[in-house]
Amino acid sequence: MYEIFEHTADLGLRVEAPNLEGLFAEAGRGLASMMVANLDQVQPLQVRELTLPGLERDYLLFDWLTELLYIFDTERLLLVDFDLQIHESGLHAVCRGETLDPARHWLDHEVKAITYHHLKLEPTSTGWQAEVIVDI
Amino acid sequence: MSIKAAYDGPLEKVNDYCWRIPKSYREGMRVDGLIFADEALLEHIREDQAPEQVANVAFLPGIQHASLAMPDIHWGYGFCIGGVCATDPEEGGVISPGGVGYDINCGVRLVRSNMFYQDVKPHLERLMDQLFAHVPAGVGKGGRFHFKAKELKHLMTEGPAYLKKYDAATDGDIAHTEAHGCLQGAEPDRVSQRALTRGEDQCGTLGSGNHFMEVQIVEAVYDDVAARAMGLEKDMVCVMIHSGSRGLGYQVCDDALKRLRGVPEKYGIHLPDRQLACAPIDSKEGQEYIGAMGAAANFAWCNRQLLMHQARLAFEKALGKPWQSMQMNLVYDVAHNIAKFETHTTGGKERKVWVHRKGATRAFPPNHPETPDLYKRIGQPVIIPGDMGRASFVLVGQQGSMEQSFGTTCHGAGRAMSRTAAVKASQGRKIEEELRARGVIARAHSWRGLAEEQPEAYKDVNLVVEVVHQANLAKKVARMKPIGVVKG
Repeated sequence: MYEIFEHTADLGLRVEAPNLEGLFAEAGRGLASMMVANLDQVQPLQVRELTLPGLERDYLLFDWLTELLYIFDTERLLLVDFDLQIHESGLHAVCRGETLDPARHWLDHEVKAITYHHLKLEPTSTGWQAEVIVDI
Repeated sequence: MSIKAAYDGPLEKVNDYCWRIPKSYREGMRVDGLIFADEALLEHIREDQAPEQVANVAFLPGIQHASLAMPDIHWGYGFCIGGVCATDPEEGGVISPGGVGYDINCGVRLVRSNMFYQDVKPHLERLMDQLFAHVPAGVGKGGRFHFKAKELKHLMTEGPAYLKKYDAATDGDIAHTEAHGCLQGAEPDRVSQRALTRGEDQCGTLGSGNHFMEVQIVEAVYDDVAARAMGLEKDMVCVMIHSGSRGLGYQVCDDALKRLRGVPEKYGIHLPDRQLACAPIDSKEGQEYIGAMGAAANFAWCNRQLLMHQARLAFEKALGKPWQSMQMNLVYDVAHNIAKFETHTTGGKERKVWVHRKGATRAFPPNHPETPDLYKRIGQPVIIPGDMGRASFVLVGQQGSMEQSFGTTCHGAGRAMSRTAAVKASQGRKIEEELRARGVIARAHSWRGLAEEQPEAYKDVNLVVEVVHQANLAKKVARMKPIGVVKG
């Protein structure tokens, strides 16, 4: 599950999941929810595979969200459904979504960047949680 | 530490408009922190961790004089917004992308005209429709200008001077742009392919968030001589444009922060916050960022130039006259997220330092060599956007800025409400109609954007400007009132 929290000039994303794969998938959906107000209208019509290297989990989460943002920014491809495998040296993801259709998708925030500010990824008694602040 | 925590460290009074965080506050601070504010603003400033960030910046190697913050200070990433820091390469000084921000060369420009409120008022709806149609705005919106990689490199090397060949810039525009819209030492080859891809259709687009284009009128004149030099008179119609380097600049910052992972440790630099990531100015990594940052800054000046060009065309269409006959000349363009290599005197010694301004504006005084001829006697114009309901300001730099703040003043009002709080506070209200009742016609791509940017979401810019005026950093020249707003 994800939720958006307040940060004076920008927005924060808080995510919880029982495992790391779920955490990354929820973070991806949370990011998409900042950019499009009616996420339920985004269909899993296109498939994109991503492989990202990274030894440190928090940086890997940062790189993952940055990659999704880059794809949206340059191709207008909104990815909302994720099948992830996280291993020691990075991640592999099968992502699904569709190209933005301004007639059906309500654009919301322009996310400029994912930030390192209070970037947090840690285990909890029930799984994992993460916090990330995005620059609006 | 909770990220909502208030600052409970020291803030010692230097005078009515300046407060000190002594370097004894935390081991590792190389200089004091100094915050320009009055007592009322200081109460707000204490509410979050922005003063702690001022103290953190004081850890940076080579920092001179003090870690400074302007009265519109608020919490940012690593550096606070409203922060100023100057580093000397000869003393192991560093360059830090966090001291510039994601939106490299975000800035503001002001365009005057020879028309007055009563001339434009009957045509204002039509004018706003034309501006809304001509000026691409909103989330990731691509523009009408597409520049392939080769042309992007020209824009990043030459700045708006390159746009003269498309009749989209004049010599007068270039002369009235900070640094002539062209930072020397820009190296487009340091800009990644990802950044180029993000930038190729975004030059000449407004973006969203707090970026805007406003039609304004001069509501009050405080300094007749300076206003006359800028061609401003009471009730005159002007255009103010606030935007930056768009996706290209965000990507340059992103690339640099990634590149700098582990780099401070490599050079033995201890940082209290990893968002202060930096590299020695003379290092390979430092030089790479300086080259790419300069290229993104020049791109941003091209962006504001093309936005102004499209505004001129929209005025032509709405009012049926060429822009030249409406004398829509650029008063000035200032950057408020940038790092520049400048000459300053600190500790009795003249030095060349890298001045990081993050949410802070250059404010050179009269007779400074970099101030354009037209403004030599009055000082460099400074443009301070406020909020879309109340006011914005035009100032000129004063000698006190050279003595106290590396030739720098504030950049805006600063937020008073978070975005989510602003949206909550707008439930059941019609912001557009409220603005209309205040005499402002708004055109926006997103109602939420309008709610987030409502006037009440910002601090009163009057209070911020009063501090820099009283502290002799910059002098008030004119107050501008919005009559039309284009938002993303």
